[in-house]
Amino acid sequence: MGLGFVVGIIGGFLIAHAAFSTIQYRGELKIMEEQFTGPPFNAVIELLVGLGLCLWAGLAVPTKFLSILPHSDENRVVSLPANLDFMVFNHRGKVLPSNPDLKLKI
Amino acid sequence: MATQDKRSDTSDFPEIINTDNLQSNMKSIYYSRTFLSIIGGVIAGIWGFTGFTGFVFYFVVMLAASFGLAAKAKFSADSYFDSWNRVLLDGILGGLMSFVLFWTFAYDIVHIF
Repeated sequence: MGLGFVVGIIGGFLIAHAAFSTIQYRGELKIMEEQFTGPPFNAVIELLVGLGLCLWAGLAVPTKFLSILPHSDENRVVSLPANLDFMVFNHRGKVLPSNPDLKLKI
Repeated sequence: MATQDKRSDTSDFPEIINTDNLQSNMKSIYYSRTFLSIIGGVIAGIWGFTGFTGFVFYFVVMLAASFGLAAKAKFSADSYFDSWNRVLLDGILGGLMSFVLFWTFAYDIVHIF
C-alpha cells in the first residue's frame, strides 16, 4: 500500500505540473493573440502518464478483495479479532434448517 | 453473525456468502471509482474538453477502471462478488457527479482564471 500511495502522489504531481505549464502556455497565447487549440505536447504526455499512474494507484491502494466463498481457506476461522481464545469455524451445519421450536424451553 | 443464508435462484451453489467481505469489497470498488472520477475530471479540465468530449472521456476512464477492477478480481467475480454487475457497473453514475464537479473546477482554474 505504501508503493501505491507513492505512485498516486507522483501521478498527482505530474498532473499538477501539466496544469501549470498549460496555464503558462495560455498566458503566452494571450500575449500573441492566438487561439487555444490544446495544451502543449509535453503537457499532454504528462497528463497521460499521470492518468496511467493514478489509475494504477486507484486500483492498488484500496484494500484487496477478500474472498466471499465459505469454503475458501481464508474464511475457515470466523473469530473475534482481538481474542483467539474463542475460535468459531465456518461449517456446513449452518445450512441445515434449525427449528427454534425444537429447542429446549425452560 | 458474520455469515448469512442467501439462497440464489439460479443455482444452489454457493448458498452461504460471507457478507462482511462482500461489503468490504464493494467499499473498495467505490473508493477506486470515486478517486478515478476525480482524477479524470481534473485531467479533462486541464486538457480543455468541453461538452460531449468530456463525457466520452469519463466513460473511457470508467471503462479502464472496470477492466482494472476485473483484473484485480482475477477475472473471477464469483469468488469476490455476487454478480458481475457489481464489478463492471456499480458506482459509474455516482462518479459522474464528482467528475463533472472537478472537471468544471479544473477548467475554470486553468482556462479562465
